[in-house]
Amino acid sequence: MANNILVVAEARGGDVRKVALEVVTAARVLADGLGSEVHAIVFGGAGIASVAAKLAAVGADVVQVVEHEGFATYNAEAVAATVTAQITGGGYRAALFGASAMGQDLVPRIGAKLRVGVAADVVAVAVDGSDIVVRHPMNTNKIIATMVLSATPALVSVRPGAVSVGGSAKAGTVQMVAPAMDPAAGRVKVTGVVMGGGAKLDLAEAPVVVSGGRGLKAAEHFSLVEELAAAFGNAAVGATRAVTDDGWRPHSDQIGQTGRQVSPDLYVAVGISGAIQHIAGMRNSKTIVAINKDKDAPIFKVADYGIVGDAFEIVPALTAAVKAARAQG
Amino acid sequence: MSSQNIAFLIVLVAALGFFSYNIQRLVSYLRLGKAENRLDHPGRRTWNLITIGFAQTKILREFGAGLSHASVFWGFLVLTAGTAEILLHGVWSGFSYEAMLPRVLWQLFMLSQELFAVVVLVAVSWLIWRRVMAPPKRLQGKEVHNAEAITILCVIGSLMLTLYTTGAFEYASEPALRATQFGWFRPISSGLGALVTGPPVATLQVAHDVSWWMHALLVLGFLNFLPYSKHLHVVSSLINVWFSNTSGPGQIGVMRAMDLEAEVEQFGATDVDHLSWKNLLDGYSCTECGRCTAACPANITGKPLSPRKIVVDTRRRLMEKAPLLAGELDVPGSAALLLQAEGGTAAFDNVLLDNYITEDELWACTSCRACVTECPVSIDQLDIINELRRGLVLNEGRFPEEVQPTFESLEINASPWAFSPADRAQWSEGLNIPTYAEAFAEGRRPDILFWVGCMGSFDDRAKKITVAFARILQAANIDFAILGQEETCHGDPARRLGNEYLYQMLAKGTIDTLDRYEVKTIVTFCPHCFHQMGNEFPQLGGNYEVIHHSTYIERLLDANLVPLTTEHGRTLTMTYHDSCYLGRYNDVYSAPRETLKRALPVLNLVEPARTESRGLCCGAGGGRMFVDEKVGKRINVERTEELVATGAEVIAVACPFCMTMMTDGVAKLGKDVSVLDISEVVAGQLLPSRSRELVAGD
Repeated sequence: MANNILVVAEARGGDVRKVALEVVTAARVLADGLGSEVHAIVFGGAGIASVAAKLAAVGADVVQVVEHEGFATYNAEAVAATVTAQITGGGYRAALFGASAMGQDLVPRIGAKLRVGVAADVVAVAVDGSDIVVRHPMNTNKIIATMVLSATPALVSVRPGAVSVGGSAKAGTVQMVAPAMDPAAGRVKVTGVVMGGGAKLDLAEAPVVVSGGRGLKAAEHFSLVEELAAAFGNAAVGATRAVTDDGWRPHSDQIGQTGRQVSPDLYVAVGISGAIQHIAGMRNSKTIVAINKDKDAPIFKVADYGIVGDAFEIVPALTAAVKAARAQG
Repeated sequence: MSSQNIAFLIVLVAALGFFSYNIQRLVSYLRLGKAENRLDHPGRRTWNLITIGFAQTKILREFGAGLSHASVFWGFLVLTAGTAEILLHGVWSGFSYEAMLPRVLWQLFMLSQELFAVVVLVAVSWLIWRRVMAPPKRLQGKEVHNAEAITILCVIGSLMLTLYTTGAFEYASEPALRATQFGWFRPISSGLGALVTGPPVATLQVAHDVSWWMHALLVLGFLNFLPYSKHLHVVSSLINVWFSNTSGPGQIGVMRAMDLEAEVEQFGATDVDHLSWKNLLDGYSCTECGRCTAACPANITGKPLSPRKIVVDTRRRLMEKAPLLAGELDVPGSAALLLQAEGGTAAFDNVLLDNYITEDELWACTSCRACVTECPVSIDQLDIINELRRGLVLNEGRFPEEVQPTFESLEINASPWAFSPADRAQWSEGLNIPTYAEAFAEGRRPDILFWVGCMGSFDDRAKKITVAFARILQAANIDFAILGQEETCHGDPARRLGNEYLYQMLAKGTIDTLDRYEVKTIVTFCPHCFHQMGNEFPQLGGNYEVIHHSTYIERLLDANLVPLTTEHGRTLTMTYHDSCYLGRYNDVYSAPRETLKRALPVLNLVEPARTESRGLCCGAGGGRMFVDEKVGKRINVERTEELVATGAEVIAVACPFCMTMMTDGVAKLGKDVSVLDISEVVAGQLLPSRSRELVAGD
């Protein structure tokens, strides 16, 4: 079983993160190509074993659960030691991680312990014969490097959002694993976790972004945009520079050349003309929907879907439609 | 020699000696600035001295205050001749112009003294009244030293009054002289003297002497007060005008060349000794009139920048630092020694940047050159700002965080916005426009390079300008080509933002491309590209004829090369917004207006309140396009309000940056006013190509 793939499934607050499911999906691709199994290892406090079903649903044959109060928050040293021990002991072909903040901290530690290289921040994985092939974007996405990983074990971190969740369901046999090192014995002590951005979804991470521009005419009309974002449930609210410079929204909400650069799955532009200042910050979104009363507005040049009309009529209708669709299922 | 003569000689020598000491001290401070050759174009410089200096052309841009100042200035020029006589007469009683000149000339000279003194008195009275009773906004606030200004005005007034009283007491005390020394040519002294009849002659003689001494002492006191006050400009401003940066064609607004290979520890400036001696002379020449600040778009809209403060701070810091550097610690009683004795180490620890001028002030500048244009003595405030920005970026790596993506993208994509070079010529698809690469492959050498620019390549609104201008070129059968994917940013935004290193990298790359294709003539619709490639590329060895599309279209229309429809429709009311880099930087004011009028003869072209060289910036220049506007009113809104107030249905622009700013301003105001580039107005009047063929077939 030397061809099994180990996934380090990132958990936070007692639940697995979306990136963990994405990485299991990617691992499933490799295991299917190699005719082997996916083993997911998850670290957490009491009750973390309950996430096994989620990991199994996307393709984990085995879920290794490391349950310890010291893993309620991320513990770099103990996690690295345990994962290293598992890789060595289990004779895995490869170990996959999310290229999240945690993954970026963890992979080099393990790479150094095992004295192997790391394929960081890859966007696609595949199997070619007995080799693992990964793709990694370079030079602001203008070049895609294809790398063949022939060494064992291969350490790979997968960019969050690069792989769509959806592997085939497997048994997900739960194995309890003891930490290879006492989490309390480490040199680093986590005294607290400060979450950024309060309860708001971070603009760069949100799968949906709803943005408002000058076309909303006044700060108070931003409630329309906020209601649409709330209807999606996983949307963050953005704004154009004209709006933030005018003080309708805080500067931290600005999307564009001088603000945040985002690339969500869905970007809804409400009353935004589409000056280069704004386009520079959102044109890499996967799907762009634009609502503007001016049919000649440049935003329609980059939009996948355009609605020409009055935002004050269209946005409430859209909000109602999104609510209805989510209520159904 | 009388005892009075000897006493005065002693006073005179002491006064002139002290003045001379101070001037030498100030000149030695200038030497702390970096060397810079300002002796080129002597003819142009002398012409500046005659027009801006003696004819007071820039002061007269504001009529009321301008005429008052010019009156005092011209009055002083005339009266100084009289002052020289008075001082020489004080040393040697026998000296008088009367003995040297034909009588008529002497009489006219005396008349000129009497009359110009009235002119000065009237002007000074008005200036005092204005300072106290109705100061304009620029003469209010904490930057203004009113007490000093009023003191000086009172001294000038007193000089005039003592001139009359001296004459009057002479008339009253010396009846024998009245026939020869007085008459029509000394109307005021004679008139006043005739009124003094009571006191005995001896008393009147004493009164005359006292009056004379007062006058002479005021002159010498005034002279020695100058080096310690903002009125030093009396001494330095004519010199400053001669050395000013307005000299040399194509030199207006060109940023200083910089040798990045030089073995120096400092790029740009963070303190006064990193500035050039001319920047320091600017400090001496500022009399704090505030016209620069009154014209500054950042200041008008409530930002922390005041160009006047930049210059005054430069002088204040020089006065603090120079004594230390000039080794005046060895000079007994020197300012430096006094500072040290007071335990004031601030002078040693301070720097111009941060202690005097803050980062926020520097980044607020749109580089519009309104300050430089308004300054009556041709101070270059912008040069100091640019040098300090370079110091911030090149030495200290300090710039607004939102600028980072711009620098990064310029480095990676050769465009301020992160678009792929592969997409540069997308706009030209289906338009049958050749690239230089294609033309060269066919062995052709196009006449003209149409330089599109990054806005014109990537901004979907600006692309419409690109297409409009290309259609005009095609309609006129111009042999032109574009660089397509090989076009790169020339680096101007980086240069204006202080990142000279990034600028030179991009500029040299662009020059390589242009030279590889043997480009000689470039047309572009972006004034920033126009200015950069035409005026600043020569510093790096790139010499091309660069023509802005306003001028180029005007020439084509002049030569009847553009087939335009004669159906003009109804009369449109249109206003034109001047781009700073076209107008104040390059003196192109009439070409865009003429182009509009020729394309649409029925046009009703109206001008906004601030126009041409006084036009207000759109807010995007100087790299401000890439910096958030977090403080005060937005400049584009201020400007759009003014343009909309003309009642125009269309705002015409000749710059893609202005286009973005005005479009947003109109949206903000919720006005139904369209914003068009001048080329779009012309392209809208092009004959359809079918009917053109018919016309050609006739």
